[in-house]
Amino acid sequence: MPNMAEDEVSSHVPALEARGLHKRYGAVHALRGIDLAVWRGEIFALLGPNGAGKTTLFSIFATLLKPSEGTAHVFGFDSVRERVAVRRRMGIVFQEPALEGKLSVRDNLHLMGLFYGLSSRAARTRSAELLVTLGLEDVAAREAQKLSGGQKRRVELARALVTTPEVLFLDEATLGLDVDARRLFWAEVRRYVGAGGTVFLTTHYMDEAEPADRIALIDHGQIIALGSPQELKNRVGGGVLLLATDDDAQAAAWLREHGHHPEISARGVLLVEPEPAAVLPEVLAHLPVRTRRAEVHEPSLEDVFLKLTGRALEDGNGKPAPRAQGGQP
Amino acid sequence: MRGLFAVIMLDLKRLWVDRVRLVSSLIQPLLYLFVLGSGLGASSKMGGSGYLHYIYPGVLGLSLLFSSVFAAMLIVFDRQIGFLKAVLVAPVPRVAIALGKVLSGAIQALVPATILLLLLPLLGMDLSLLALLELIGTMILAAVTFSALGVATAARFRSTTVFPIISNAVLLPMFFLSGALYPLDSAPVWLRWLAHIDPVAYAVDLMRGAILDRYAYPPLLSLAVLLGFIVVLTWLATRVFAAGEDT
Repeated sequence: MPNMAEDEVSSHVPALEARGLHKRYGAVHALRGIDLAVWRGEIFALLGPNGAGKTTLFSIFATLLKPSEGTAHVFGFDSVRERVAVRRRMGIVFQEPALEGKLSVRDNLHLMGLFYGLSSRAARTRSAELLVTLGLEDVAAREAQKLSGGQKRRVELARALVTTPEVLFLDEATLGLDVDARRLFWAEVRRYVGAGGTVFLTTHYMDEAEPADRIALIDHGQIIALGSPQELKNRVGGGVLLLATDDDAQAAAWLREHGHHPEISARGVLLVEPEPAAVLPEVLAHLPVRTRRAEVHEPSLEDVFLKLTGRALEDGNGKPAPRAQGGQP
Repeated sequence: MRGLFAVIMLDLKRLWVDRVRLVSSLIQPLLYLFVLGSGLGASSKMGGSGYLHYIYPGVLGLSLLFSSVFAAMLIVFDRQIGFLKAVLVAPVPRVAIALGKVLSGAIQALVPATILLLLLPLLGMDLSLLALLELIGTMILAAVTFSALGVATAARFRSTTVFPIISNAVLLPMFFLSGALYPLDSAPVWLRWLAHIDPVAYAVDLMRGAILDRYAYPPLLSLAVLLGFIVVLTWLATRVFAAGEDT
């Protein structure tokens, strides 16, 4: 029973593991030494701004790119030398749609089953099952290109699940979906994790990383923080005081003079304080510019990113904050 | 094997749902035959039906060449819309992806060529059963060769803007050099030398040989050249697919 031995070994290795990973595209150093382990059964999010190296790292795990240095393993299999073994164990939802628009939903799923080595009959059975679980029976015969955005994403998820993968890769998978469609999509992902699956996702939206068990913050090709959402927020220490003023730059300068460590984001001036509510009255009373709005809140992942990098992950509109743009080459 | 089957099935299903492409691919070779045959034939010293018989295998070659290369070009569309990635991350051997694409392109090209084949009796050419089988076998070999050429080329491109360039700078010269429309006997030496490295020339010569029993190259040489092209080009395509998106 050689399989038993393999299973025994593999149950102790992480689902995903990167060691000293570097990736260079010519002069661009996209990944600068990534070390990472993702455990079985967890939802792991890679959170960072666009251009941070998320998709590069994702593509290396998914066997689409080769690292320039270092190794990546999926369930103990090398993502370069044992690509076929890795491919057998993963399902992927890409950032761009990967459905054949002119074929029906059912045909799309069926063909993907064939690609993963199922017999035609097995692929048909499995597609039918997934159409039921994902609530897509009604649109099964429809051309993929005629579905709504949310439906398309769910078909993509079904496509990734046709092969009952051990790990599910999601690359900005709910980008552009409305709240309801996103919630439906996530309900399915959680069901998959509940059944023992592992999820590795990339995103630049903090609310999409929030449901993850652990989050790695990535910036300029390096992981700058890693932990559960709560652990990351604890890093900020205490709470956050956010001030929207008539002149944020002047407000920040004044605060700096008075012993605070402000950061400017698109939302306003941000202060991290052990007791933000206690500082608030004094600041409001003496700040030389008019304060339009003041709020005290628990640190968000956005605050963590801003605190660690001095740049915003995204602003409320999903556009990069001015300083984030300034940081790009 | 299943991977190979999946690649071919995917492409054929897509051809089937894309009726416009299917119908236009059927009309195209008829246009070639009648426009070229009657237009050029009238001014040719071979005389009307003689010339039609001469260019018939050439038109078969033209139809096979363009249909199979353009079927292969759909790979570039797939890459642009991100669909190719979904195929590339499947646990299918890369050689099965390359070979599947080559064979599906060949099948797609043979569909319109079959229409031309059905016209044979109407054009006043009766072939013995043996000659017909020889012609069909040669057509299949030609389709696979051209398709391999298309796949090896298309696998490298990321943008569809190269299509007209390939069409005008590669396919048309290959076709004109092949002796499909006129014999190269009176052509300058350098042109005939170029024709020696043109797979279309060997393919057309084999098809013409099956019909008219007149060969410019020894048939075994032509067979070997076409098989050689198929192996090398499929290998090149496999290498590109093996590199993933790292190119």
